[in-house]
Amino acid sequence: MSASKSRWADDDPETDAIIAQRKREKEEKRRAKAEKQRQLEQAAPAQSANDAQTANGDSGPPKKRRRLSNDPDGISSAEEVARSEEQKKVSSLLRFPVREWGPCRHVDNFERLNHIEEGSYGWVSRAKDITTGEIVALKKLKIENSPDGFPVTGLREIQTLLEARHQNVVYLREVVMGNKMDDVFLVMDFFEHDLKTLLDEMREPFLPSETKTLLLQVVGGLEFLHAKWIMHRDLKTSNLLMNNRGEIKLADFGMARYYGDPPPKLTQLVVTLWYRAPELLLGADKYGTEIDMWSIGCIFGELLTKEPLLQGKNEVDQVSKIFTLTGPPNSQTWPGFRSLPNAKSLRLPPSSTPSSSGNNPPLLPRSRFPYLTNAGMHLLSGLLALNPASRPSAQECLAHPYFREDPRPKPKEMFPTFPSKAGMEKRRRHHTPAAPQRGQEAPELDFAGVFGGAPGGDSGEAGAGFTLRLG
Amino acid sequence: MAPPNPGLTHLSNALATPEQLSASSSSIDGVPSDLEASIRCAGTQLTQAAGVLLHLSQDIIAQAIVIFTRFWLGADGGSLRIYSVKVNKLPSDVSAAALYLTAKLSFQPTSPRSVLNVYTLLLSQEASPLWFVNPHGAPKQPPSADSYTLTEGGYQSARLVLLRIESVILRTLSFDTHVALPHTIALTYLQTLGVTDSAVSRRTVEYLNSALFSPQLLYVTHQPNALAVAAIYLASREQGCKLVDGEWWEVFDVDREELGFLVVGMKSTEGFMRAETEKWKGPGKTIPLVVEEVDAEIERSRMMQEGE
Repeated sequence: MSASKSRWADDDPETDAIIAQRKREKEEKRRAKAEKQRQLEQAAPAQSANDAQTANGDSGPPKKRRRLSNDPDGISSAEEVARSEEQKKVSSLLRFPVREWGPCRHVDNFERLNHIEEGSYGWVSRAKDITTGEIVALKKLKIENSPDGFPVTGLREIQTLLEARHQNVVYLREVVMGNKMDDVFLVMDFFEHDLKTLLDEMREPFLPSETKTLLLQVVGGLEFLHAKWIMHRDLKTSNLLMNNRGEIKLADFGMARYYGDPPPKLTQLVVTLWYRAPELLLGADKYGTEIDMWSIGCIFGELLTKEPLLQGKNEVDQVSKIFTLTGPPNSQTWPGFRSLPNAKSLRLPPSSTPSSSGNNPPLLPRSRFPYLTNAGMHLLSGLLALNPASRPSAQECLAHPYFREDPRPKPKEMFPTFPSKAGMEKRRRHHTPAAPQRGQEAPELDFAGVFGGAPGGDSGEAGAGFTLRLG
Repeated sequence: MAPPNPGLTHLSNALATPEQLSASSSSIDGVPSDLEASIRCAGTQLTQAAGVLLHLSQDIIAQAIVIFTRFWLGADGGSLRIYSVKVNKLPSDVSAAALYLTAKLSFQPTSPRSVLNVYTLLLSQEASPLWFVNPHGAPKQPPSADSYTLTEGGYQSARLVLLRIESVILRTLSFDTHVALPHTIALTYLQTLGVTDSAVSRRTVEYLNSALFSPQLLYVTHQPNALAVAAIYLASREQGCKLVDGEWWEVFDVDREELGFLVVGMKSTEGFMRAETEKWKGPGKTIPLVVEEVDAEIERSRMMQEGE
C-alpha cells in the first residue's frame, strides 16, 4: 500500500492494477469458499437444516439452506457468490433496541400494600400492579417547592436508572404520576431486604464465601455504572437491596449523576457521612469515581464485622475516625492532600516511619479484621487508601486475587434465606445517618481538633495513638 | 436479523410509532397539517436561536429540539390548540421548557431567568431577529427596552408557566429524557473511513444540524447512526471526497433503503425552509406561536379557501 497517497484516490494505473489483481484474488477465494460451503451442506443430512430452522425460531430461518435444498445442483457459482454476499450483509447489520415513548400511567394502576421505609428522598411502599398482579416497590419522589422546577436530583435518578440496566442495579420499570403535578412515583422491582437491616438481624456476620459473592455483585454493578459515566455517590449498606436468592442490587440513585472528562462542577455534599471519602471531607471540589470505591471499602468492612466501620458523629469526628484506622496521611501516601481546602487547619503528628513501600497504600491494622486473609487485607487497604489515586477501580477490584482464593465465592443459589422485613411489617428505621441534602452549603470545617482535645472533636478515643498539642 | 443489542441503548433513541406520526394531538384538534409543520419548524428554530443566545453548546440545543419534537407527536402529545387545561401549551413555552430542562440535566445548567429573558427578546415583535416573529429582521436601532424585557411581575408569572410546562413535558414523555445524538457518532465514522478533510466533517455536522429542522422529523424516526451515515454520504459527495468502494454504510449498520430515504430527507430540508420563508413572507404575516394566533390563522385560511 502506498502510504503517501489518499486511501481512496486510486487514479494511479499501477495501484489500480494491484487493486484489480487483489479483487480478482478475493473473488476467487470467495468462490472457492462458497463452493466448499455448498458441498458441506449437501453432505449434511437434511435434518440438520430442520434443526437449525427450529432453533432459530420463525423470525429468521436460514435462507441459504432452504434455497439450496430446492435448487438444482448445477447452480452457477457467480449467482452463488452474489447470494452468499447478500446474506452476509443481511445478517451482519446490528439492530438497535427500539424504544418508544408515551405518557406516564397513573399511580391508581397500583394497589398500595404496606409502607416499607422512609428515606431522605421519599417514601417507599410495597404495591401490587393491578393488571399483572406483580409485587413492586413504589417510591414517591419528594418534590419540595423547588425554585428550579422539577428537582434535578429526581431527574438524574430517573435518567441514570433508565440507563443503568444491569443485573446488579435495581430495575426501574416505569415512572407513574398521581393526581397532583407533584406526585411522581418510581415503580421498581420489589426486594425483600436491604443489607443494613439484614446485618442488624444476623447473629454472625456473613461467611467469607458469602461476603465475596455479595461484594462481587456490588462491585460488578458499580463497574457497569462507572463504565457508563455514572457516579452513585451514596453507596451504603441500606442502599443495597437483597432478595432471598442471594442477589444484591444497587438502589437509591438520588445522588447519582453523570460525570465527564473534563469533570463538571460537582458538589462535595454527597455520600452519607459514615461512607464519605476523605477527599470529600477535606473539601475537594474535583473528585471522581474513587469516592464510590471508598464507600465500597466501608461496605466491605461492614460485611466483615457486621458493624458500620467508621461511625463518625460529625465531619470532624469522621476524619479523626478515618485517620485512626488508616494512620494519618503524609506527603508520601497522599501527595497533594495539603492543598485541599479543609486540610489547612489539619494538624498532624510528624510522620514516624514511612510505612508504605512503593505505590502500595499502607496496610490497615490487622487487629481490626482478625479473620481476613492477606489478600483480603490488601484489597480492603487499597479501597480505604486515603489517596484517591491509590484506590483500585471497580474493574481492578473485580480482578483482585481475594476473589479467586479459597474459600471461593458461594453460588447465589446456595445463599440462606431470611424472613422478610419489608414484606409484612414496617421496616425498621435505620440508625445510619441520612445522606446530605441538596442545596445545603458545604460547611467550612475546622479540623484543628482532629488529633487533639479541642472542642467539637471526640477527645476520648479518637486521637488515641497520636495525641498532639495544638499551637 | 440479529436481536437488538442491549449494550447499544446509550447510542439509540426512542422512536416515534406509526400511530404517533399519523395522528398528532393537534391534528385531532383540527390544526391543518401544513400549519402544524410550520409551527413545529418555527419552534425548533426558536429553540436553536435561544440556545445560541444562552451560550449553550450545540449538543444541549439539539437534545432540546428532539425533546420539543417528541412532545407534539401522537394523540397523547401536546396540542397546539388547547383551552381546557389551565395552562396553554404554547409552542414557545414548550420550546423554553425543553431547553431549560435539557440544560438542567447537562453540565451547563441555566437559570429560569436567563431562559425567560432570552425568549422575551426572541418573541418580541419589534426586537426579535427571527424572521417568523419579526418580518422586518433585527432592528438596526434597538427599540425601546420595554418591548423586549420582562417586568418583575411578568417574570414571576412566566417562571410558573415555565416550570409547569416542564412537568407537562416530563409526563408526556414519561420522564425519558435520553437523547442520543449523531454528531459524535459521525465523527467516529469519519475517522473510521479515514476522512481527513475537515471540510467534509464540517459539512457533515451542518447536515446533522439542519436535519433538526426537517419536516420529516428525521431525529425521531431514525437512529443516530443512520443520521450520521446519511450526513457523511451527502457531505463527502458534495466535497468530492471519495470514500471506500462498496456499500460502506452497511459497516455502520445502515441499509441502502434507509440511507436513500435519509439522503432525500436531508436534502429536502433546504427546500422546505425556502418554501416556508416564501409562504410566511409579507407584511404582518408571522408564524403563530400562541394559541389565539393559531386559531386566528386557521380561521383566516378557512375564509381564504371559502372565498376562492
